[in-house]
Amino acid sequence: MSAQQVELEQPEVVGLPNSTNNITAQTISLWITPIIAAAFLIAFVAFPGFRPPMSPNMTAVQVAAFFGEHTTMIRVSMIIYDLLGVMLVPFFMLIVVQMKRMAAPSHVFAYSYLSAVATGATLFAVADLFWLVAAFRPGRSPDLVQLLNDMAWIVFTAPVGMFIAANICLALAIYLDPHPRPIFSRWIGHFNLAVAALVVPAACAAVIRTGPLAWNGFVSFWLRIGTFGIYLIVMFFALRSAITRQALEERAAS
Amino acid sequence: MTVVVSTPPTPGAEPDDYQRYRPKSKTDQWICWWSILIFYNLFGLIFVVLTRVMPPPSPHLSTGQIVHFFQVHSLTIKIGFGLLMVVIGFSSWANGLVVFHMKRMSVGSVWAYSYIAALAVGALPGCLFAALCFLTAVFRPDRNPHIMALLYDMGLLMFVGSLGCFATMYLVFALAILLDKNKIFPKWLAYVTIWQIVTEVMAAPVFIFKRGPFSWNGSISFWQGTVIFVIWEVCVVFVLYKAIREQPPRETDAGLLMRSASRIRARRGHEVTADS
Repeated sequence: MSAQQVELEQPEVVGLPNSTNNITAQTISLWITPIIAAAFLIAFVAFPGFRPPMSPNMTAVQVAAFFGEHTTMIRVSMIIYDLLGVMLVPFFMLIVVQMKRMAAPSHVFAYSYLSAVATGATLFAVADLFWLVAAFRPGRSPDLVQLLNDMAWIVFTAPVGMFIAANICLALAIYLDPHPRPIFSRWIGHFNLAVAALVVPAACAAVIRTGPLAWNGFVSFWLRIGTFGIYLIVMFFALRSAITRQALEERAAS
Repeated sequence: MTVVVSTPPTPGAEPDDYQRYRPKSKTDQWICWWSILIFYNLFGLIFVVLTRVMPPPSPHLSTGQIVHFFQVHSLTIKIGFGLLMVVIGFSSWANGLVVFHMKRMSVGSVWAYSYIAALAVGALPGCLFAALCFLTAVFRPDRNPHIMALLYDMGLLMFVGSLGCFATMYLVFALAILLDKNKIFPKWLAYVTIWQIVTEVMAAPVFIFKRGPFSWNGSISFWQGTVIFVIWEVCVVFVLYKAIREQPPRETDAGLLMRSASRIRARRGHEVTADS
């Protein structure tokens, strides 16, 4: 490839000024996350099925009675999740954007992360719809209310694979980034691996109906959701410092 | 048509400073490539050996026989699909690798993004939902038999009958390979891929027939499609292996990033070199 030197006469035509916008978009995406997270927390507290988490051993009649009794609050809390659940996507796309800035050998893990987040968010969207359908006609045959409630809980709890694959590929991308001042420091990689490991046992909630691995158990419910909450907080600060640094560097460069 | 920056980026306060450190290795690509081998073997173990979804049980079972099917295979369905809940995410790594190579093609990113979007959709109805339906069915063996039969039909119809997500993926994949001038993937792979679209069309009658070659376990709708899928998957794994090996190390810097670096520098009035 013989390179030929070209003096650009109208440099402003060549590049569109997208970097500054980039920082603005990232900052907005970052700061809507605490708002979404607060709404999540409100919906979490408001959902009668989480206080305490419903037992998988409730009979069909008990489940139907539960939906009949708490119809309003189930609807309110699940509409909040339905409306806002997928609004965490910009936050995860911030991670994709920062992964693409890394000095990792290629962008494969950034695309893998994006793909995993898209499917993972869909799963969350489906789970709250099942709860809403169950609450739509609580007078339906109890067997059917129980079926919808089972599917909601299983979809909500068990398919942790997308989150796991996303966290592992983010960790690998961090480890493969040789930059002396990397975008995410090494411990964020370790943290992501630890988070992936902590949510693995929740997959058992689709299979086991009693004990800590059941969908209302300590490991499958509290540990998984607690881990996800801490993940959001830690990645929020990691992203905030990455974006701040990017802004400073771009300002210094221009 | 890549634009190459003539001078090495100055260290320090430089937006694309990070790219300077980009290693020449392809470790991340090889990790993704190996994950395809491991994932598809696990996938085969789960769907063929453990959960008996491939080849699928018959669509014309009576309600009682369906309940019996779930009773007999309850344990292996729990083990297999429980495992799938954890490992399904690795399918996204395969997507990442294929999209990366599609973006290297001369045809631009539109089909690469279509590929990833179609598969991100397909993962749910085309794979996970069958598992979720079966898991829900065996979760309560005492469930109403008609609901068991509903979960059986729903799971298997979604698994065999999720046509569009995969047909879209095959279509953009074949088009990208055919029109690509950078020779990232060989042209013959496009023709193999077109057969995959044909198998998706051939699977459409599963929604109508309960017996015969066009039912969801039939010779055409299921067996032909599965045989061609396995051949296709082996081809893709082989072609990806070659594509990773033949990718010039310099190019790992990703043309897109080089271009964005040159843009910023161009804005600041630096010299850039262009080769066309």
